[in-house]
Amino acid sequence: MKDKKKKAVSVIARSIYVIALLVIWECVARSGILGPRSSLIFPSLEQIGEAFIKNFVKGYAGTSLWIYIANSMKLLLTGLFIGVVLAFILSGLSMVSYVFFKIYDLTVSVFDLLPGIALLPVVIIIFGVREEVIVFLVVHAVLWPMSRNMLDGFNATPRIYVEAGKNMGLKGAGLIFGVYLPAAASYIVSGLKSGWARAWRGLISAEMIFGIASSPGIGLFINQMRTNMNNAEMYATLLVIIIIGVIVQYGILRPIEINTVRKWGMTK
Amino acid sequence: MSKDALLQIRDLTKIYKDDNSDKTVLKSLDLDVEKSEFLCILGPSGCGKSTLLRCIAGFEDYSGTVSVDGSIRREPGIDRFMVFQDFNQLFPWKTVINNVAYPLGLNLKASKAEIKERAMEALKKVGLDNCGDQYPHQLSGGMKQRVAIAKALALRSPIILMDEPFAALDAMTRSGLQKEMISISESEKNTIIFITHNIQEALILGTRILVFGQQGHILFDGKNPMQRPVTPASEGYGALWEELHHALYEGSLKRSDTD
Repeated sequence: MKDKKKKAVSVIARSIYVIALLVIWECVARSGILGPRSSLIFPSLEQIGEAFIKNFVKGYAGTSLWIYIANSMKLLLTGLFIGVVLAFILSGLSMVSYVFFKIYDLTVSVFDLLPGIALLPVVIIIFGVREEVIVFLVVHAVLWPMSRNMLDGFNATPRIYVEAGKNMGLKGAGLIFGVYLPAAASYIVSGLKSGWARAWRGLISAEMIFGIASSPGIGLFINQMRTNMNNAEMYATLLVIIIIGVIVQYGILRPIEINTVRKWGMTK
Repeated sequence: MSKDALLQIRDLTKIYKDDNSDKTVLKSLDLDVEKSEFLCILGPSGCGKSTLLRCIAGFEDYSGTVSVDGSIRREPGIDRFMVFQDFNQLFPWKTVINNVAYPLGLNLKASKAEIKERAMEALKKVGLDNCGDQYPHQLSGGMKQRVAIAKALALRSPIILMDEPFAALDAMTRSGLQKEMISISESEKNTIIFITHNIQEALILGTRILVFGQQGHILFDGKNPMQRPVTPASEGYGALWEELHHALYEGSLKRSDTD
Protein backbone atom coordinates (compact mmCIF):
# COMPACT_ATOMS: atom_id res chain seq x y z
CA MET A 1 0.00 0.00 0.00
CA LYS A 2 2.74 2.39 0.97
CA ASP A 3 4.66 1.57 -2.19
CA LYS A 4 1.59 2.15 -4.34
CA LYS A 5 1.05 5.53 -2.75
CA LYS A 6 4.67 6.45 -3.29
CA LYS A 7 4.43 5.48 -6.94
CA ALA A 8 1.26 7.52 -7.43
CA VAL A 9 2.88 10.55 -5.82
CA SER A 10 5.95 10.25 -8.04
CA VAL A 11 3.85 9.91 -11.22
CA ILE A 12 1.63 12.87 -10.33
CA ALA A 13 4.53 15.09 -9.26
CA ARG A 14 6.49 14.36 -12.39
CA SER A 15 3.48 14.92 -14.67
CA ILE A 16 2.70 18.29 -13.05
CA TYR A 17 6.35 19.29 -13.40
CA VAL A 18 6.50 18.41 -17.11
CA ILE A 19 3.14 20.02 -17.91
CA ALA A 20 4.13 23.19 -16.04
CA LEU A 21 7.35 23.43 -18.03
CA LEU A 22 5.46 23.01 -21.30
CA VAL A 23 2.90 25.65 -20.30
CA ILE A 24 5.65 28.15 -19.42
CA TRP A 25 7.37 27.39 -22.70
CA GLU A 26 4.17 27.99 -24.67
CA CYS A 27 3.40 31.22 -22.77
CA VAL A 28 6.86 32.58 -23.53
CA ALA A 29 6.55 31.52 -27.17
CA ARG A 30 3.16 33.20 -27.65
CA SER A 31 3.84 36.38 -25.67
CA GLY A 32 6.87 37.31 -27.74
CA ILE A 33 8.51 38.45 -24.53
CA LEU A 34 12.00 38.05 -25.97
CA GLY A 35 11.40 40.34 -28.94
CA PRO A 36 12.06 39.44 -32.57
CA ARG A 37 14.28 36.44 -31.66
CA SER A 38 11.50 34.95 -29.58
CA SER A 39 10.32 32.47 -32.18
CA LEU A 40 13.92 31.31 -32.72
CA ILE A 41 14.64 30.68 -29.07
CA PHE A 42 11.20 29.42 -28.16
CA PRO A 43 9.33 28.09 -31.20
CA SER A 44 5.76 27.21 -30.23
CA LEU A 45 4.96 23.65 -29.23
CA GLU A 46 2.83 23.37 -32.32
CA GLN A 47 5.75 24.29 -34.57
CA ILE A 48 8.01 21.82 -32.79
CA GLY A 49 5.37 19.11 -33.11
CA GLU A 50 5.01 19.75 -36.83
CA ALA A 51 8.78 19.82 -37.24
CA PHE A 52 9.03 16.52 -35.35
CA ILE A 53 6.78 14.84 -37.94
CA LYS A 54 8.40 16.67 -40.82
CA ASN A 55 11.84 15.45 -39.72
CA PHE A 56 10.74 11.88 -40.24
CA VAL A 57 8.52 12.36 -43.27
CA LYS A 58 10.51 14.81 -45.34
CA GLY A 59 13.82 14.85 -43.52
CA TYR A 60 16.68 16.96 -44.84
CA ALA A 61 17.79 17.01 -48.46
CA GLY A 62 15.39 14.18 -49.22
CA THR A 63 16.72 11.90 -46.48
CA SER A 64 14.43 11.04 -43.55
CA LEU A 65 15.66 11.42 -39.97
CA TRP A 66 15.22 7.66 -39.68
CA ILE A 67 18.21 7.15 -41.93
CA TYR A 68 20.31 9.51 -39.79
CA ILE A 69 19.22 7.69 -36.64
CA ALA A 70 20.00 4.31 -38.16
CA ASN A 71 23.47 5.48 -39.18
CA SER A 72 24.18 6.88 -35.72
CA MET A 73 22.91 3.77 -33.98
CA LYS A 74 25.02 1.49 -36.13
CA LEU A 75 28.20 3.35 -35.21
CA LEU A 76 27.12 3.69 -31.60
CA LEU A 77 26.39 -0.01 -31.14
CA THR A 78 29.63 -1.01 -32.86
CA GLY A 79 31.58 1.32 -30.56
CA LEU A 80 29.69 0.25 -27.45
CA PHE A 81 30.28 -3.41 -28.23
CA ILE A 82 34.01 -2.95 -28.82
CA GLY A 83 34.32 -0.71 -25.74
CA VAL A 84 32.50 -3.06 -23.39
CA VAL A 85 34.36 -6.15 -24.62
CA LEU A 86 37.71 -4.34 -24.30
CA ALA A 87 36.76 -3.16 -20.80
CA PHE A 88 35.99 -6.75 -19.76
CA ILE A 89 39.22 -8.13 -21.24
CA LEU A 90 41.56 -5.42 -19.98
CA SER A 91 40.00 -5.16 -16.51
CA GLY A 92 39.98 -8.96 -16.26
CA LEU A 93 43.68 -9.11 -17.15
CA SER A 94 44.31 -6.54 -14.43
CA MET A 95 43.08 -9.08 -11.91
CA VAL A 96 45.52 -11.70 -13.20
CA SER A 97 48.67 -9.58 -13.25
CA TYR A 98 49.55 -6.95 -10.66
CA VAL A 99 51.96 -5.21 -13.05
CA PHE A 100 49.28 -5.05 -15.73
CA PHE A 101 46.82 -3.69 -13.16
CA LYS A 102 49.17 -0.87 -12.18
CA ILE A 103 49.79 0.09 -15.80
CA TYR A 104 46.16 -0.18 -16.84
CA ASP A 105 45.00 1.73 -13.76
CA LEU A 106 47.28 4.60 -14.77
CA THR A 107 46.07 4.43 -18.38
CA VAL A 108 42.44 4.58 -17.32
CA SER A 109 43.07 7.50 -14.99
CA VAL A 110 44.78 9.48 -17.74
CA PHE A 111 42.46 8.76 -20.65
CA ASP A 112 39.29 9.07 -18.60
CA LEU A 113 40.12 12.76 -18.26
CA LEU A 114 40.57 13.39 -21.98
CA PRO A 115 37.44 14.57 -23.78
CA GLY A 116 36.95 12.60 -26.98
CA ILE A 117 36.49 15.81 -28.94
CA ALA A 118 39.98 16.92 -27.92
CA LEU A 119 41.36 13.77 -29.53
CA LEU A 120 39.40 14.38 -32.71
CA PRO A 121 42.18 16.16 -34.66
CA VAL A 122 44.61 13.32 -34.06
CA VAL A 123 42.04 10.63 -34.77
CA ILE A 124 41.07 12.28 -38.04
CA ILE A 125 44.71 12.37 -39.09
CA ILE A 126 44.98 8.66 -38.34
CA PHE A 127 41.73 7.43 -39.88
CA GLY A 128 40.73 10.26 -42.22
CA VAL A 129 37.15 11.57 -42.21
CA ARG A 130 35.56 8.15 -41.93
CA GLU A 131 33.15 6.16 -39.83
CA GLU A 132 36.02 4.67 -37.87
CA VAL A 133 36.60 8.05 -36.24
CA ILE A 134 33.13 8.05 -34.70
CA VAL A 135 33.49 4.42 -33.60
CA PHE A 136 36.84 5.27 -32.06
CA LEU A 137 35.33 8.15 -30.10
CA VAL A 138 32.48 5.97 -28.85
CA VAL A 139 34.98 3.32 -27.73
CA HIS A 140 36.97 6.06 -26.01
CA ALA A 141 33.82 7.33 -24.29
CA VAL A 142 32.76 3.94 -22.96
CA LEU A 143 36.01 2.06 -22.31
CA TRP A 144 37.49 4.20 -19.55
CA PRO A 145 34.49 4.79 -17.28
CA MET A 146 33.49 1.16 -17.73
CA SER A 147 37.01 -0.03 -16.85
CA ARG A 148 37.23 2.33 -13.87
CA ASN A 149 34.00 0.89 -12.52
CA MET A 150 35.07 -2.68 -13.14
CA LEU A 151 38.46 -2.21 -11.49
CA ASP A 152 36.81 -0.57 -8.48
CA GLY A 153 34.27 -3.39 -8.40
CA PHE A 154 36.94 -6.10 -8.53
CA ASN A 155 38.90 -4.44 -5.77
CA ALA A 156 35.79 -4.06 -3.64
CA THR A 157 34.95 -7.77 -3.88
CA PRO A 158 34.46 -8.95 -0.29
CA ARG A 159 37.28 -11.27 0.78
CA ILE A 160 34.77 -13.85 1.94
CA TYR A 161 33.47 -14.40 -1.63
CA VAL A 162 37.01 -14.91 -2.85
CA GLU A 163 37.79 -17.35 -0.05
CA ALA A 164 34.49 -19.17 -0.54
CA GLY A 165 35.39 -19.43 -4.23
CA LYS A 166 38.86 -20.77 -3.50
CA ASN A 167 37.36 -23.17 -1.00
CA MET A 168 35.27 -24.77 -3.73
CA GLY A 169 38.28 -25.11 -5.99
CA LEU A 170 38.16 -21.97 -8.12
CA LYS A 171 41.39 -20.33 -9.21
CA GLY A 172 42.72 -18.05 -11.95
CA ALA A 173 40.19 -17.44 -14.70
CA GLY A 174 37.59 -19.51 -12.85
CA LEU A 175 37.83 -17.15 -9.90
CA ILE A 176 37.46 -14.11 -12.18
CA PHE A 177 34.38 -15.44 -13.99
CA GLY A 178 32.91 -17.25 -11.01
CA VAL A 179 33.45 -14.65 -8.29
CA TYR A 180 34.99 -11.31 -9.26
CA LEU A 181 32.72 -10.58 -12.23
CA PRO A 182 29.37 -11.35 -10.61
CA ALA A 183 30.49 -9.75 -7.34
CA ALA A 184 31.25 -6.56 -9.28
CA ALA A 185 27.87 -6.65 -11.04
CA SER A 186 26.50 -3.47 -9.47
CA TYR A 187 29.69 -1.63 -10.43
CA ILE A 188 29.49 -3.02 -13.96
CA VAL A 189 25.87 -1.92 -14.31
CA SER A 190 26.68 1.61 -13.18
CA GLY A 191 29.69 1.57 -15.53
CA LEU A 192 27.37 0.63 -18.37
CA LYS A 193 25.06 3.49 -17.49
CA SER A 194 27.73 6.16 -17.41
CA GLY A 195 29.53 4.60 -20.39
CA TRP A 196 26.37 4.64 -22.47
CA ALA A 197 25.56 8.25 -21.54
CA ARG A 198 29.05 9.41 -22.42
CA ALA A 199 29.07 7.47 -25.66
CA TRP A 200 25.72 8.92 -26.72
CA ARG A 201 26.85 12.48 -26.03
CA GLY A 202 30.27 11.90 -27.55
CA LEU A 203 28.74 10.48 -30.71
CA ILE A 204 26.47 13.47 -31.27
CA SER A 205 29.20 16.03 -30.59
CA ALA A 206 31.54 14.29 -33.00
CA GLU A 207 28.84 14.14 -35.66
CA MET A 208 28.13 17.84 -35.19
CA ILE A 209 31.75 18.71 -35.78
CA PHE A 210 32.10 16.71 -38.91
CA GLY A 211 29.55 14.77 -40.89
CA ILE A 212 30.41 11.83 -43.01
CA ALA A 213 28.75 11.97 -46.38
CA SER A 214 28.57 8.21 -46.67
CA SER A 215 26.73 7.77 -43.37
CA PRO A 216 25.26 11.00 -41.99
CA GLY A 217 24.09 10.79 -38.36
CA ILE A 218 21.79 12.62 -35.94
CA GLY A 219 24.48 15.10 -34.92
CA LEU A 220 24.93 16.12 -38.53
CA PHE A 221 21.17 16.51 -38.90
CA ILE A 222 21.03 18.88 -35.93
CA ASN A 223 23.91 20.84 -37.34
CA GLN A 224 22.15 21.21 -40.70
CA MET A 225 19.04 22.51 -38.93
CA ARG A 226 21.17 24.91 -36.93
CA THR A 227 22.95 26.35 -39.96
CA ASN A 228 19.64 26.78 -41.76
CA MET A 229 18.04 28.42 -38.73
CA ASN A 230 15.36 25.72 -38.67
CA ASN A 231 15.12 25.98 -34.92
CA ALA A 232 11.83 24.16 -34.52
CA GLU A 233 13.36 21.19 -36.39
CA MET A 234 16.47 21.46 -34.23
CA TYR A 235 14.41 21.26 -31.04
CA ALA A 236 12.42 18.39 -32.50
CA THR A 237 15.69 16.52 -33.11
CA LEU A 238 16.86 17.22 -29.55
CA LEU A 239 13.58 15.64 -28.50
CA VAL A 240 14.45 12.57 -30.57
CA ILE A 241 17.82 12.36 -28.84
CA ILE A 242 16.14 12.50 -25.45
CA ILE A 243 13.55 9.89 -26.45
CA ILE A 244 16.22 7.47 -27.65
CA GLY A 245 18.16 8.07 -24.44
CA VAL A 246 15.08 7.34 -22.33
CA ILE A 247 14.28 4.21 -24.33
CA VAL A 248 17.79 2.86 -23.78
CA GLN A 249 17.74 3.84 -20.11
CA TYR A 250 14.35 2.31 -19.29
CA GLY A 251 14.05 -0.26 -22.05
CA ILE A 252 17.51 -1.81 -21.87
CA LEU A 253 19.63 -0.69 -18.92
CA ARG A 254 16.85 -0.73 -16.32
CA PRO A 255 15.73 -4.30 -17.14
CA ILE A 256 19.36 -5.42 -16.97
CA GLU A 257 19.61 -3.86 -13.52
CA ILE A 258 16.30 -5.33 -12.30
CA ASN A 259 17.18 -8.81 -13.51
CA THR A 260 20.63 -8.84 -11.95
CA VAL A 261 21.75 -6.73 -9.02
CA ARG A 262 18.23 -5.88 -7.80
CA LYS A 263 17.05 -9.46 -7.98
CA TRP A 264 20.16 -10.51 -6.09
CA GLY A 265 19.62 -7.91 -3.37
CA MET A 266 22.99 -6.30 -4.13
CA THR A 267 21.43 -2.86 -4.55
CA LYS A 268 18.22 -1.24 -3.40
CA MET B 1 49.80 -39.37 18.39
CA SER B 2 48.44 -41.91 15.98
CA LYS B 3 49.91 -42.39 12.55
CA ASP B 4 46.61 -42.97 10.80
CA ALA B 5 44.67 -39.92 11.97
CA LEU B 6 42.61 -38.35 9.17
CA LEU B 7 44.03 -34.88 9.72
CA GLN B 8 47.60 -34.46 10.90
CA ILE B 9 49.11 -31.11 11.77
CA ARG B 10 52.83 -31.04 12.44
CA ASP B 11 54.96 -28.21 13.77
CA LEU B 12 52.62 -25.56 12.42
CA THR B 13 53.92 -22.04 12.98
CA LYS B 14 52.20 -18.94 11.70
CA ILE B 15 53.77 -15.51 12.00
CA TYR B 16 51.97 -12.37 10.87
CA LYS B 17 54.62 -10.05 9.54
CA ASP B 18 54.01 -6.42 10.30
CA ASP B 19 56.08 -3.41 9.26
CA ASN B 20 58.00 -3.20 12.47
CA SER B 21 57.04 -6.23 14.50
CA ASP B 22 56.36 -9.90 13.84
CA LYS B 23 53.51 -11.50 15.70
CA THR B 24 53.64 -15.22 16.30
CA VAL B 25 50.04 -16.43 16.24
CA LEU B 26 50.68 -20.16 16.28
CA LYS B 27 53.84 -21.77 17.54
CA SER B 28 54.92 -25.32 16.65
CA LEU B 29 51.44 -26.75 16.90
CA ASP B 30 50.96 -30.52 16.64
CA LEU B 31 47.46 -31.89 16.39
CA ASP B 32 45.79 -35.08 15.18
CA VAL B 33 42.11 -35.29 14.41
CA GLU B 34 40.50 -38.69 13.96
CA LYS B 35 37.84 -39.58 11.44
CA SER B 36 34.26 -38.67 12.50
CA GLU B 37 35.54 -36.70 15.45
CA PHE B 38 33.58 -33.59 16.42
CA LEU B 39 36.39 -31.42 17.73
CA CYS B 40 35.49 -28.20 19.48
CA ILE B 41 38.24 -25.65 20.05
CA LEU B 42 37.77 -23.08 22.80
CA GLY B 43 40.12 -20.23 23.45
CA PRO B 44 40.37 -16.56 24.31
CA SER B 45 40.33 -13.97 21.53
CA GLY B 46 43.61 -13.79 19.68
CA CYS B 47 44.77 -17.28 20.68
CA GLY B 48 45.09 -18.33 17.06
CA LYS B 49 42.15 -20.72 16.82
CA SER B 50 40.66 -19.00 13.78
CA THR B 51 44.09 -18.75 12.21
CA LEU B 52 44.55 -22.49 12.68
CA LEU B 53 41.33 -23.11 10.79
CA ARG B 54 42.42 -20.76 8.00
CA CYS B 55 45.76 -22.59 7.78
CA ILE B 56 44.01 -25.96 7.54
CA ALA B 57 41.69 -24.55 4.88
CA GLY B 58 44.72 -23.36 2.90
CA PHE B 59 43.95 -19.63 3.03
CA GLU B 60 47.21 -18.73 4.81
CA ASP B 61 50.94 -19.27 4.38
CA TYR B 62 52.63 -21.04 7.25
CA SER B 63 55.55 -23.27 8.12
CA GLY B 64 54.93 -26.87 9.09
CA THR B 65 52.57 -29.31 7.47
CA VAL B 66 48.89 -30.09 7.28
CA SER B 67 48.04 -33.48 5.83
CA VAL B 68 44.81 -35.24 5.10
CA ASP B 69 44.87 -39.03 4.76
CA GLY B 70 48.65 -38.86 4.78
CA SER B 71 49.11 -36.41 1.89
CA ILE B 72 50.18 -32.84 2.44
CA ARG B 73 47.71 -30.01 1.68
CA ARG B 74 48.78 -26.42 1.08
CA GLU B 75 46.06 -25.10 -1.21
CA PRO B 76 42.35 -24.76 -0.50
CA GLY B 77 40.33 -27.81 -1.48
CA ILE B 78 36.92 -29.36 -1.03
CA ASP B 79 38.25 -32.08 1.28
CA ARG B 80 38.43 -29.34 3.93
CA PHE B 81 35.33 -27.22 3.58
CA MET B 82 35.04 -24.00 5.54
CA VAL B 83 31.80 -22.66 7.00
CA PHE B 84 32.47 -19.05 7.96
CA GLN B 85 30.92 -17.00 10.73
CA ASP B 86 29.91 -14.31 8.22
CA PHE B 87 26.37 -14.87 6.92
CA ASN B 88 27.45 -13.38 3.60
CA GLN B 89 29.43 -16.41 2.54
CA LEU B 90 26.79 -17.40 -0.02
CA PHE B 91 26.96 -15.91 -3.49
CA PRO B 92 24.09 -13.39 -3.67
CA TRP B 93 23.87 -13.83 -7.45
CA LYS B 94 22.93 -17.49 -7.20
CA THR B 95 19.75 -19.04 -5.90
CA VAL B 96 19.99 -21.23 -2.82
CA ILE B 97 19.95 -24.46 -4.81
CA ASN B 98 22.59 -23.11 -7.21
CA ASN B 99 24.78 -22.01 -4.31
CA VAL B 100 24.83 -25.65 -3.27
CA ALA B 101 25.00 -27.08 -6.78
CA TYR B 102 27.72 -24.74 -8.11
CA PRO B 103 30.66 -26.22 -6.17
CA LEU B 104 29.38 -29.68 -7.10
CA GLY B 105 29.40 -28.77 -10.78
CA LEU B 106 32.98 -27.53 -10.45
CA ASN B 107 34.26 -30.67 -8.79
CA LEU B 108 32.07 -33.47 -10.03
CA LYS B 109 31.77 -35.07 -13.42
CA ALA B 110 28.03 -35.65 -13.35
CA SER B 111 24.97 -34.61 -15.30
CA LYS B 112 23.09 -31.45 -14.36
CA ALA B 113 20.14 -33.49 -13.13
CA GLU B 114 22.35 -35.60 -10.86
CA ILE B 115 23.99 -32.49 -9.43
CA LYS B 116 20.64 -30.82 -8.79
CA GLU B 117 19.39 -33.94 -7.10
CA ARG B 118 22.41 -34.16 -4.85
CA ALA B 119 22.13 -30.46 -3.97
CA MET B 120 18.45 -30.93 -3.16
CA GLU B 121 19.28 -33.91 -0.97
CA ALA B 122 21.75 -31.78 0.98
CA LEU B 123 19.22 -28.98 1.37
CA LYS B 124 16.73 -31.51 2.68
CA LYS B 125 19.21 -32.55 5.36
CA VAL B 126 19.26 -28.99 6.68
CA GLY B 127 15.49 -28.57 6.27
CA LEU B 128 15.59 -26.03 3.46
CA ASP B 129 14.41 -28.10 0.50
CA ASN B 130 11.51 -25.68 -0.07
CA CYS B 131 13.76 -22.61 -0.31
CA GLY B 132 15.83 -23.70 -3.30
CA ASP B 133 14.60 -21.02 -5.66
CA GLN B 134 15.08 -18.14 -3.26
CA TYR B 135 18.05 -15.80 -3.30
CA PRO B 136 20.30 -15.55 -0.22
CA HIS B 137 19.15 -12.01 0.60
CA GLN B 138 15.66 -13.41 1.17
CA LEU B 139 16.90 -15.77 3.91
CA SER B 140 17.46 -15.19 7.61
CA GLY B 141 20.95 -15.51 9.12
CA GLY B 142 20.26 -18.97 10.46
CA MET B 143 18.98 -20.16 7.09
CA LYS B 144 22.07 -18.81 5.35
CA GLN B 145 24.28 -20.78 7.72
CA ARG B 146 22.20 -23.89 6.99
CA VAL B 147 22.80 -23.42 3.27
CA ALA B 148 26.52 -23.05 3.92
CA ILE B 149 26.46 -26.34 5.82
CA ALA B 150 24.45 -27.93 2.99
CA LYS B 151 27.26 -26.96 0.59
CA ALA B 152 29.71 -29.01 2.63
CA LEU B 153 27.26 -31.92 2.91
CA ALA B 154 26.60 -31.95 -0.84
CA LEU B 155 30.34 -32.02 -1.53
CA ARG B 156 30.69 -34.82 1.05
CA SER B 157 33.73 -33.03 2.39
CA PRO B 158 35.44 -35.38 4.84
CA ILE B 159 36.48 -32.43 6.99
CA ILE B 160 34.19 -29.50 7.75
CA LEU B 161 35.82 -26.44 9.32
CA MET B 162 33.44 -24.21 11.23
CA ASP B 163 34.63 -20.85 12.49
CA GLU B 164 32.10 -19.75 15.12
CA PRO B 165 29.31 -20.28 12.60
CA PHE B 166 26.51 -19.73 15.12
CA ALA B 167 28.05 -16.90 17.14
CA ALA B 168 25.95 -14.19 15.51
CA LEU B 169 22.64 -16.09 15.82
CA ASP B 170 19.98 -15.71 18.48
CA ALA B 171 19.88 -18.38 21.20
CA MET B 172 16.82 -20.22 19.83
CA THR B 173 18.15 -20.51 16.30
CA ARG B 174 21.57 -21.48 17.63
CA SER B 175 20.14 -24.27 19.73
CA GLY B 176 18.21 -25.60 16.71
CA LEU B 177 21.29 -25.57 14.54
CA GLN B 178 23.35 -27.28 17.23
CA LYS B 179 20.88 -30.16 17.27
CA GLU B 180 21.07 -30.40 13.51
CA MET B 181 24.87 -30.40 13.54
CA ILE B 182 24.83 -33.29 16.00
CA SER B 183 22.46 -35.39 13.92
CA ILE B 184 24.39 -34.52 10.74
CA SER B 185 27.74 -35.52 12.25
CA GLU B 186 26.24 -38.75 13.56
CA SER B 187 24.64 -39.75 10.26
CA GLU B 188 27.18 -38.36 7.76
CA LYS B 189 30.33 -39.16 9.77
CA ASN B 190 32.12 -35.99 8.66
CA THR B 191 35.02 -34.87 10.76
CA ILE B 192 34.15 -31.49 12.15
CA ILE B 193 36.45 -28.89 13.66
CA PHE B 194 34.30 -26.32 15.36
CA ILE B 195 35.58 -23.10 16.88
CA THR B 196 33.61 -21.40 19.60
CA HIS B 197 33.85 -18.98 22.49
CA ASN B 198 31.09 -20.72 24.29
CA ILE B 199 31.87 -23.51 26.80
CA GLN B 200 28.29 -24.75 26.75
CA GLU B 201 28.34 -25.02 22.96
CA ALA B 202 31.57 -27.04 23.10
CA LEU B 203 30.04 -29.40 25.69
CA ILE B 204 26.86 -29.90 23.67
CA LEU B 205 28.56 -30.46 20.32
CA GLY B 206 32.04 -31.82 20.86
CA THR B 207 33.12 -35.43 21.15
CA ARG B 208 36.53 -33.95 21.94
CA ILE B 209 37.33 -30.54 23.33
CA LEU B 210 40.51 -28.47 23.12
CA VAL B 211 41.33 -25.28 24.96
CA PHE B 212 43.90 -23.01 23.36
CA GLY B 213 46.07 -20.58 25.23
CA GLN B 214 48.21 -17.97 23.54
CA GLN B 215 49.97 -18.94 20.29
CA GLY B 216 47.86 -22.06 20.00
CA HIS B 217 49.35 -23.59 23.11
CA ILE B 218 47.08 -26.49 24.05
CA LEU B 219 45.94 -26.10 27.66
CA PHE B 220 43.32 -28.81 27.65
CA ASP B 221 42.69 -31.77 25.38
CA GLY B 222 40.11 -34.37 26.31
CA LYS B 223 37.24 -36.51 25.11
CA ASN B 224 33.76 -35.45 26.06
CA PRO B 225 32.50 -38.40 28.18
CA MET B 226 28.88 -37.29 28.26
CA GLN B 227 26.13 -39.05 26.34
CA ARG B 228 24.23 -36.93 23.82
CA PRO B 229 22.04 -34.99 24.12
CA VAL B 230 24.16 -33.07 26.60
CA THR B 231 22.30 -30.77 28.96
CA PRO B 232 23.42 -28.99 32.13
CA ALA B 233 21.75 -31.93 33.94
CA SER B 234 24.06 -34.50 32.29
CA GLU B 235 26.34 -36.32 34.66
CA GLY B 236 29.75 -34.72 34.83
CA TYR B 237 28.63 -31.51 33.06
CA GLY B 238 29.42 -29.24 35.98
CA ALA B 239 32.84 -30.70 36.62
CA LEU B 240 33.90 -30.54 32.96
CA TRP B 241 32.49 -27.02 32.61
CA GLU B 242 34.54 -26.03 35.65
CA GLU B 243 37.67 -27.62 34.23
CA LEU B 244 37.27 -25.93 30.82
CA HIS B 245 36.47 -22.63 32.43
CA HIS B 246 39.57 -22.90 34.55
CA ALA B 247 41.73 -23.73 31.54
CA LEU B 248 40.28 -20.80 29.59
CA TYR B 249 40.75 -18.45 32.51
CA GLU B 250 44.32 -19.63 32.95
CA GLY B 251 44.89 -18.99 29.24
CA SER B 252 43.71 -15.42 29.38
CA LEU B 253 45.55 -14.87 32.67
CA LYS B 254 48.82 -15.88 31.06
CA ARG B 255 48.20 -13.39 28.32
CA SER B 256 47.83 -10.48 30.72
CA ASP B 257 51.07 -11.56 32.40
CA THR B 258 52.99 -11.24 29.17
CA ASP B 259 51.29 -8.00 28.10
